[in-house]
Amino acid sequence: MNCAEVVKQIPMYGYGEISAEMEERIESHLTECEACREELARHRAFVDLLDERDEPIDPTLLTTCRADLRRQIVAETASRPHTGWNWLGSVRGFTAFHIPFRVPVGAIALVAIGWIGAHYAPARFGGVETAGLVQPMFSNVQSVQPDSSGNVSIAVDEVHRRVVSGTFDDPRIRELLLSAVREESNPGVRVESIAVLKDSADLQVVRQALIDAVSHDPNPGVRLKALEGLKQYASDAAVRKALANVLLKDDNAGVRVQAIDVLTAHSDDSIVGVLQDVMQKEDDSYIRARARNLLEAMRASIGTY
Amino acid sequence: MYDAATETVNATLAAPLDETGLIRAAQSGDADAFERLVRAYDQSVLRIAMNLLRSPDEARDVYQEAFLKIFRNLRQFRFDCSFHTWLYRVVTNVCFDHLRRRKVRKEDSTVVETQDGLVDQVTQIEEVGPAANPERQTWNRELSAGIAAALQELTPRERMVFELRHYEGLRLRAIGEILGTSEEAAKNCLFRATQKMRTRLEAFV
Repeated sequence: MNCAEVVKQIPMYGYGEISAEMEERIESHLTECEACREELARHRAFVDLLDERDEPIDPTLLTTCRADLRRQIVAETASRPHTGWNWLGSVRGFTAFHIPFRVPVGAIALVAIGWIGAHYAPARFGGVETAGLVQPMFSNVQSVQPDSSGNVSIAVDEVHRRVVSGTFDDPRIRELLLSAVREESNPGVRVESIAVLKDSADLQVVRQALIDAVSHDPNPGVRLKALEGLKQYASDAAVRKALANVLLKDDNAGVRVQAIDVLTAHSDDSIVGVLQDVMQKEDDSYIRARARNLLEAMRASIGTY
Repeated sequence: MYDAATETVNATLAAPLDETGLIRAAQSGDADAFERLVRAYDQSVLRIAMNLLRSPDEARDVYQEAFLKIFRNLRQFRFDCSFHTWLYRVVTNVCFDHLRRRKVRKEDSTVVETQDGLVDQVTQIEEVGPAANPERQTWNRELSAGIAAALQELTPRERMVFELRHYEGLRLRAIGEILGTSEEAAKNCLFRATQKMRTRLEAFV
């Protein structure tokens, strides 16, 4: 392979978009050719530059888009009542699009998780209270028993909604937030809860909830929010273990990028093996570059590139 | 730390996202499932639309049009390709339609003249994120503007291939499927885009 051919292949080599055979030929050439190694370094500098572009999505725009989409779909479904779509009938689904993205920490008004409180912690809070209750949100008939006098006894399970307000210091609020982080049907509630909880990640119970969210939550937005809360605990062994796992297994490149950024903010030899695995398995050029730089800085073997 | 009452929830959370299950549920009318599908991809869709069109209003239109098309046609989706290939194909076509319409309207620029000189409206969107370093913000703005200008010099197809490969991390094979072309053609397109970008951004490196 001559230099011109190698230079032409370098961009695709960087993206991992060439065959294993071609990769071997390029690497063999690179070991012998100083000029091509320099060209590769220049290309990597260019890629690093592209990856520095920092244009986060405007959260207001995203929220507006979601709300507009919701409105349009509800309107379409309403005009086609027999389509089988369950948008209007899904109370929880309906609330999901109307939860604002950020709630002031000091003035929590968790309307949507009222039902979770009733569901998860009825004993501690004395069960469902009469005061402040609105009409049942969900009800299920469990049994129907007619008697000889013509009366019918119907057993109904009902879930009510109520508003619980307070600061994070209130153990009831804290417990509701920790429950809400696991509210499987509504990622909006999970993001909001983590946004409030993340400032208190010095508490072990909160940190563990963030670790669980970053490791298992199905929604990448929730995982990213949890990662944000774990940033300042990059030296904590449990956090590092979870982040290493995320780096190797998360299917979302954005989450993996955040994970490697947090992990490398506090580098130590314990992550060498993880970084070497990254070099072998990772497709994303930014993550590979970060891992490679770190391994080089630690004078560790880069492994197969 | 979990109590017994949350065990079931945790088991569900621990399971990986079953996209096929979500699609099937959404096809049978499950609103929550469709919402989860939307949320799994919508940030990526919005980012592609923003980067390609450089207009928040048009990005918003692309978001609506693309997901409404998906919503209306989801029942006809037969898993002949992956869901994300189908979604990105729809997004790509909607973006190209916008670019074509814009060409007709001759509004192919978000740069406006102000008393401070020429300003790209898109790069003026307020940066989010707390406690950002002012020097860093300036650098990011300059770099973003430079990258945006370089991207604008690519053809729409080159721009789309570059966005999907470099920023969204899709493989060239998938990009070829999305654009209805071969992997090799997508590779050539990416090569041209990379060369042009590198030449244009030489001053930053």
